[in-house]
Amino acid sequence: MYLSRSSLMVAFSVLATVALPAMGHAQDTIKIGAPLSISGKFVSYGAAAKRGVEMAVDIYGGKIGNKKIEVLFRDTQSDPQVTVNSFTQLLVEEKVNFLIGPIATPMAMAGLPAWRRTKALWVVPGATTPLLEEEAGKEPMLFHTFPYAYYYHLSLARSLREKLGPGKTVAIIYSDDAYGREHLPYAQKYFTQEGFKIVAEELVRSGATDLNPVLAKIRRVKPDILLGVVQTTDGIQLTKQVYVQRLNIPYLVGTAYPQLKQWQDASGDAQEGWVGVTTYIPGMKAKADPKYPKLFMDSDAWIAEFTKRYNRVPEFIDVGAYVSTCMLLIAIENAGGVDDKEKVAEELKKLDVSTMIGRGHFEPSIGGTLNQAFADVVVHQRVKGTDAILFPKEFETADKLEQATYAK
Amino acid sequence: MASLIFQIMVDSLLLGGVYTLMAVGLSLAFGVTRIINFAHGDVVMYGAYAAFFAFVGLNVDPLLSLVFVAVLGGIGGYLLFKLTLDRILDAASINQVLLTFGLGLVLQNVAVILWTGDERSTTPSYAFDSWFISDDVVVAKGRLIAFGLAIAFVVLLLAWLRWSELGRATRAVSQNRAAASLMGINVRAMYGLSFALSTAFGTATGAIMSFLLPITPFMGFPILVKAFAIIILGGLDSIVGTVIGAFFLATAETTIAYVVPQGIGWAEGVAFFLLVMVLIARPNGILGTVGRDA
Repeated sequence: MYLSRSSLMVAFSVLATVALPAMGHAQDTIKIGAPLSISGKFVSYGAAAKRGVEMAVDIYGGKIGNKKIEVLFRDTQSDPQVTVNSFTQLLVEEKVNFLIGPIATPMAMAGLPAWRRTKALWVVPGATTPLLEEEAGKEPMLFHTFPYAYYYHLSLARSLREKLGPGKTVAIIYSDDAYGREHLPYAQKYFTQEGFKIVAEELVRSGATDLNPVLAKIRRVKPDILLGVVQTTDGIQLTKQVYVQRLNIPYLVGTAYPQLKQWQDASGDAQEGWVGVTTYIPGMKAKADPKYPKLFMDSDAWIAEFTKRYNRVPEFIDVGAYVSTCMLLIAIENAGGVDDKEKVAEELKKLDVSTMIGRGHFEPSIGGTLNQAFADVVVHQRVKGTDAILFPKEFETADKLEQATYAK
Repeated sequence: MASLIFQIMVDSLLLGGVYTLMAVGLSLAFGVTRIINFAHGDVVMYGAYAAFFAFVGLNVDPLLSLVFVAVLGGIGGYLLFKLTLDRILDAASINQVLLTFGLGLVLQNVAVILWTGDERSTTPSYAFDSWFISDDVVVAKGRLIAFGLAIAFVVLLLAWLRWSELGRATRAVSQNRAAASLMGINVRAMYGLSFALSTAFGTATGAIMSFLLPITPFMGFPILVKAFAIIILGGLDSIVGTVIGAFFLATAETTIAYVVPQGIGWAEGVAFFLLVMVLIARPNGILGTVGRDA
């Protein structure tokens, strides 16, 4: 085949126009994939994580050395199939070496098979049910930066035992979804271990309109503590119906939902006295990290910065995603700003920082995840519209557990 | 034992009221237009949001805002009908299904964009109040109000259908479209009116749900499923059948939830099994005529 000189020059020019910027782009940027639920039923998680990631990159300065940090957000639409597509697109087409997200366990589990194809360095600031741990906890490229469910129940059982003493009875309400069923064995294990007697275990259908039949059964066994192992929407329904039914159980305990503003707003007066768990709650006082004070600032300064940007109070996922992203960015920088997951993983393992949600350092979890950071869970109680921190000692603002109030 | 039976009866009645509210608008729209509005749950969701914003923004009680929400819902429904459904009334059923299903998805996604997926709820004092009939029998005031309103809505609707000229015209269209047209009734106008009434009921139901259920952009689908089951059970085109279906389903679910261990997990499955059994015995539902020769 004969090609004229002019044809060759045109072809070369076209090739140069297309390829060179791409090559330059690849060298000048650090790409981080962020598959998050920016729409669909987990949108509140995804939106918070997106805020945290964006703020971290911005405060970091948007660059590592001379390389621009480019976060490739992909909306999983809270749909497992779309999540698979998002992972595949980021890992195979974009060839990212670093991933952060998703938050909800079902989405993380959906992305897992696609992740196994390249095993990029994967930071997961969520996925509390230990399914991910069971499937991939031993993977050296998985960095889990949120306490697993068993840490919730371990901390809850310990703090309640500490505040209430021995011999108390517990009734557990759990939802029939993955959340309730995954949490139940840990609630049973740690509450029993701390000397509580479980007197009832009642299943509720996720999204149920009427919980009265279950509440009527629990009323009959008169427990000291009611533990509601459900997600936020069911948590609102449970809280309101427990109050309306005047169950008169002295201590009402939830999981993550009592910290959420939407639960608090929707529950009205019924929220008074509910105990919950979280990794972060306004009121926790943490000092700035001595080495990275610009990133891990004093907790009050960070809240002010966040509020200025987003005109809202940060919630636990905002903070968790922010801290996790900052740790990843520091590790990339410490590795020499290279797009090399192995080197960055080594740096990430060495990292030890003081953050707004406690010590940021990776070590094995109770359940066997190799790289687990932030296992400390805070136990708090809604008292007169604010949060009293009951556990751990370093953040404690109240030494007494209040009894719940009911409709008069 | 007596108090348990009494509590089951009370809870069944109150839940039946909630289910009636969910289903009656859907039944009305289908009875006349013969189109199942798969966006009905999302219409309820918009009513709930409207009541919520009236409550937090203007401090208006959901029971007061209900009237305005219903009027707005009716106007919105009429516009929706004229812009979309009116154009496909003679199209294949699958097109109608896809259109209303698509509308539902659009409404849901717009709600997510506008208001995020955060859960919300109105918190009027009666939503947190209850009466103790005995030590074991409790009546939640919010549900009792919903029950009362459900009965009032149905009575008003039946009265309108029976005694008003427009209502009689609506029934005529429902019974025989061709004959109604020959009698000089503007069939398409009746379709529009029925659809508007249906969405007015839907949004009014949303205002009531705003203090009974958490409000999210995703609350519509479970409501649609429940409402759909109820109108099939009662008979797709029968308002009275819908009420019977709602109370049948509520009683079945509540009884199973109380009597069977871990029953609340079984309640829905068993209730739907009963629904299938009823449909095998009466394929058109309890009082339905759809499918029978006119």
